[in-house]
Amino acid sequence: MRLGRSLYLVVTLIVTYCMFTATLAVGQNSGTGEGWCYAGNINVVPVCSVFVAVGVIFLGWSWLRLAGAVTSIAMLIKNEKPNSAGRNKGFFPYLKKAKIDELCKAVNEQVNNSTARNAEYEKQIKDFQIQVQLSQKREKNAEAIIYSIRDAVIVVDEYDRLFMANEAAGRLFKFDFQKLQHRPIAEFIGADQSEFANFLSHSRKSKSQATRREIEFIENGDRKTFDCIVSCVYDQNRQVCGVVAVLHDVTREKQIQQMKNDFVSHVSHELKTPLASITAYSEMLVDGEANDEKTRKEFYSVIQNQARRLSRLIEDILNTSRIESGLIKVNKEVVSLTVLIEDQLQMIKGYAEEKNIEIIGQKPIVFDQVYVDRDMMSQVIINLLSNAVKYTPSGGTVRILTEVDEASSSAKVIVTDTGVGIPEDEIEHVFDKFYRVGANKKQAEGTGLGLNLVKQMVETVHGGRVFVKSKVGEGSTFGFELPLAKRQSASIV
Amino acid sequence: MTDKKVLIVDDEIHIVHVVAIKLRNNGYEVISADNGAEAYDLAVKERPNIIVTDFQMPVMTGMQLVEKLRQNEETKDIPVIMLTARSFAISKEEQESLQISGCLSKPFSPKELLGNIEDILYEKELVTDN
Repeated sequence: MRLGRSLYLVVTLIVTYCMFTATLAVGQNSGTGEGWCYAGNINVVPVCSVFVAVGVIFLGWSWLRLAGAVTSIAMLIKNEKPNSAGRNKGFFPYLKKAKIDELCKAVNEQVNNSTARNAEYEKQIKDFQIQVQLSQKREKNAEAIIYSIRDAVIVVDEYDRLFMANEAAGRLFKFDFQKLQHRPIAEFIGADQSEFANFLSHSRKSKSQATRREIEFIENGDRKTFDCIVSCVYDQNRQVCGVVAVLHDVTREKQIQQMKNDFVSHVSHELKTPLASITAYSEMLVDGEANDEKTRKEFYSVIQNQARRLSRLIEDILNTSRIESGLIKVNKEVVSLTVLIEDQLQMIKGYAEEKNIEIIGQKPIVFDQVYVDRDMMSQVIINLLSNAVKYTPSGGTVRILTEVDEASSSAKVIVTDTGVGIPEDEIEHVFDKFYRVGANKKQAEGTGLGLNLVKQMVETVHGGRVFVKSKVGEGSTFGFELPLAKRQSASIV
Repeated sequence: MTDKKVLIVDDEIHIVHVVAIKLRNNGYEVISADNGAEAYDLAVKERPNIIVTDFQMPVMTGMQLVEKLRQNEETKDIPVIMLTARSFAISKEEQESLQISGCLSKPFSPKELLGNIEDILYEKELVTDN
């Protein structure tokens, strides 16, 4: 800056000197008139030179003032106090201090305001970026939630076009969401699923908050029932802008419900049958319809037998229910099958003798220990033995034996009779709950639960298996197989 | 006393027995069967005045028996009373379409059954006379 001022001073002096010299020269040569232009009596060139020189001096002076002011402002902005002593030195003084301070103050205010505004804008930008990130994260989370739901979820817009769907929905309706997004659902929902499409459309038009319906679909050839809940989606103006449908597969629940209903219905039927006999016979006795002592005794006997049947039935139903629900208490111990069979043979002996049926047991074998619940296994054996005796005509034979297979480490108990046998088409149902072989119903009374209990106790509780083979008129073979107890832990009980 | 013939159909022998005693004590002739198929043959052969049948039976159910009876000109007008151990087993519509005269739930009273039989036969007699 100082160099600029010095240069300016030198140039000004040179220009002033030149002008002065030129003016003198013009004065001397005014009589010749060579080299100069005249306008009347006035010589134009020296006058113009004076004006140009004054202009150059003024511009230079202004430039220096401006430069000085800018320098001062710059120094003030940089918080460097200009040297007040130095400021007034030199050819051109700087701006007056008050003005400069005022200007600086205004500039500083502007700068401060700008800085504050910038900080505010930066903060807003950061907030906005955070909001965007949060929003993206929320959207991704929502998508992840919808995709992870096992139920089928479909979202359609106000024109019934596919907006969003998860994998389960894609599997159910056999479509690829990525390819069909924003396409009308009627285009890819099959004709057999039109009930669903209509339900969606109807729910949207009705503007109801949520509607529910059970809809059946065919999936891989199987009929499946879905509990379909459709909810309208509203925009800020409370206008329906789409619908969300959630389809929950309730096929299994329906099957279980049906099984429960069937079970209750069976139980009701089975309980009412002996109860009907008890009610009818007791009413006949009360009304004096049994005319003689023999008839009365017969009636009492029927009532007694039917009451026992009812009691057995209730016990069997409770046992079945306990096993199925897993509530039955199981006390497993190492037991010899031979010992168990001997105990049950003693119990069935009287009944077999009454029916004139021979029961053949077997000699004890070396190792037939199994790890079982003694009471349950006793019931399994007695059920098989009593069934065999029940359906074997007088003079027949019931044989029970145990077979041990060391190689597979298992033991089989086999009960064979010379009874009426079971028709081939009914064999597969004999272990079903409440199933009784039609042709043999007259032969003996039963609850239809005995063999089912055998199956449940052997297979569900002990992990074994039951088996049967039979021929009508020749007899039947029922049995079960269980794993042998480990030798080191086994001790004969 | 009456000369009316009643066919009782049930696979529960005790029910057949007790109903038969009740009806015989009240002057009815009783014939019986333990399934629907046997009952149908007996109905065609014996032409009972009324049939009392169980709902659930092996071989042929009570409903199947009634359907078959209604298809035969000779047996289509025989009144039928259904005994059932299942609640709501037969709807009103089914009862009307198969012309089932009455339904009794097990356990039932033999006295009530006798009353129903008498009412139905009396009604049928009135219709025939007119």
